[in-house]
Amino acid sequence: MKKVAEFLESKMPPKDKPILHTAYDAFFTFAFAPKSTTKNGVHVRDGMDLKRLMIHVVLALQLLYLFGTYNIGHQHFVALGEYTGFFEGLNLKLAYGLIKMIPLFIVANAVGLGIEFWYAAKRGHAIEEGYLVTGALIPLIMPPDLPMWILAMSIFFAVIIGKEAFGGTGMNVFNIALLARVFVFFAYPTTISGDQVWVAGFDEIAAGAAPTYGMIEGFFNDWIFQPLGWPLFNTASTIVDGYTGATPLALAYEGGWSAVTDVYSSQQMLWGSIPGSVGESNKIFIILGLGFLIVTGIASWRIIFSVICGAAVMGLVLNAWDATPFMGVPWYNHFLMGSLLFAAVYMATDPVTATQTNKGKYIYGFLIGAVGLIVRVLNPAYPEGWMLAILFMNAFAPLIDHYVVEGNMKRRMKRLKVRSKTLPTLTETEVQSPAEAATA
Amino acid sequence: MGEFINIFIKSAFIENLVLAYFLGMCSYLAVSKSVNTAFGLGLAVIFVLGITMPVNWLISTWLLDPSTNIFNSYFGLDLDLTVLRLILFIAVIASMVQIVEMAIEKFNPSLYNALGIFLPLITVNCAILGGSLFMVAREYTFANSVAFGLGGGFGWFLAIIAIAAIREKIKYSAVPPALRGLGMAFILTGLMGIAFMSLLGIDPAALTAGG
Repeated sequence: MKKVAEFLESKMPPKDKPILHTAYDAFFTFAFAPKSTTKNGVHVRDGMDLKRLMIHVVLALQLLYLFGTYNIGHQHFVALGEYTGFFEGLNLKLAYGLIKMIPLFIVANAVGLGIEFWYAAKRGHAIEEGYLVTGALIPLIMPPDLPMWILAMSIFFAVIIGKEAFGGTGMNVFNIALLARVFVFFAYPTTISGDQVWVAGFDEIAAGAAPTYGMIEGFFNDWIFQPLGWPLFNTASTIVDGYTGATPLALAYEGGWSAVTDVYSSQQMLWGSIPGSVGESNKIFIILGLGFLIVTGIASWRIIFSVICGAAVMGLVLNAWDATPFMGVPWYNHFLMGSLLFAAVYMATDPVTATQTNKGKYIYGFLIGAVGLIVRVLNPAYPEGWMLAILFMNAFAPLIDHYVVEGNMKRRMKRLKVRSKTLPTLTETEVQSPAEAATA
Repeated sequence: MGEFINIFIKSAFIENLVLAYFLGMCSYLAVSKSVNTAFGLGLAVIFVLGITMPVNWLISTWLLDPSTNIFNSYFGLDLDLTVLRLILFIAVIASMVQIVEMAIEKFNPSLYNALGIFLPLITVNCAILGGSLFMVAREYTFANSVAFGLGGGFGWFLAIIAIAAIREKIKYSAVPPALRGLGMAFILTGLMGIAFMSLLGIDPAALTAGG
């Protein structure tokens, strides 16, 4: 193994070919531990290096990927009224989920990493691994049917304006993955909001609409499923009567909690076999990921704890107000719907854009929880609030830090002044006390 | 009271003068290099907006508007003085700014020096004149105009201290040389505008009416 590494290192392109060199260097350091360590920038906050930190987050996302991919297929066939049991038609659901997820993942990473490589070569520094997490998060928060060019544009916007303009990894003020999503949200709203978008594979969600199968589904049918005798993609099937594809949030907005439970059971929402963003649906796996991130010390438990507190307190306030059906949804049920937990665990805890001080983290998290629930419940324009609440608080995170640090300085200055005034008496007692202790 | 709070919240967050209407950009961009200076200017803007808005309301209603002004209602004249609106509004704003300037010079000379020319330039800060004109266009009552002045000022204050804190932070970032300074401030303002869009669409009046 060592020889392989030495051989590959000897083949590294020279530094005067910047793009080749940085690209080769990046993949080399993905595979082998580099000899040098970075000595400045965000990397040195503690002993952990950036690559290990990023990979831990990506690992924590794997269960969500697995479930989300399968769930894309599951929701598709639920809409068709076929294989409605969760474990029926396994091959079809998995194949369908992969058909949707793989292009999203490839485009998200190819575009983002492409920009990173080009930029690193241009500015003459090594590739930073910050994009790995962003590239892993973006497919989890986009609708599965999003056109690829829109995805690519959103990543262009987020990575260039939101990150490289600020100087690259560790310097950005706003969360990159959320900037990409917010770009789609405001520039192409019909592709990302409403009941129509979260169930993949239909031009419109209406009774009798046929799924849009292409060549790839045909390939799976003819070459894999047919010879093995497994269930096939059926081009003749259509959406069943009465199916709307509405998410729990849309239902709750119309008719409160009872409208939600008419369609989805609490267990279903907990396990996530509901329409919604790929990553947000399975609450159990999010909590497992949360445990992993907290045990490894990647995510700040302070932020997660205070986001949940903020959402709970705001939920109680809204329950007390109770003016619309959505406000009457019991506060604890807000945790089952939508992306609250996903946002709290993976988005709010982004170590770069969150506040840096411990006291600031409590304030930051609490306000995310409160603002997010306000947007979710009170804002009829948007179906879900966490993306915008986190961006909103990202804008205020440096301010919170500024005042926490300043408050700390003021307190210590005061302490210093008090001590310097009482200094003579202090030294007296200090001189006396050991003698007294000896005699006693 | 409910309406007072509605208008305050609406003008501070939802229809923020800087981040939704992009008013008052010149001093917002120029003075947002340090939080402490921005804090001082923000307070000055709250004060000026909070005073000029009701004063301008009085002037607009009692002296200018043909249907309510005292000349028409008490002396039986038929005068339409709305052509004087801009010049009177500016005069009120300029005199308020003079007072603020003298007060700051007396009580906080270091802030006075840090703000420099931008303190008298609050006079031509479009957020303040724009606020007064919004007030006329939206036909606010006197209490509403007080709420709008304070809320708009508070929103401006929040926006400028937030961007000042971010700019203090990115001072240490490896920003590409071409973007340092104002370029970055413009990008930041745009991104903050996106973040503030989270609240766009909330209608506090509709909520209280429903409850």
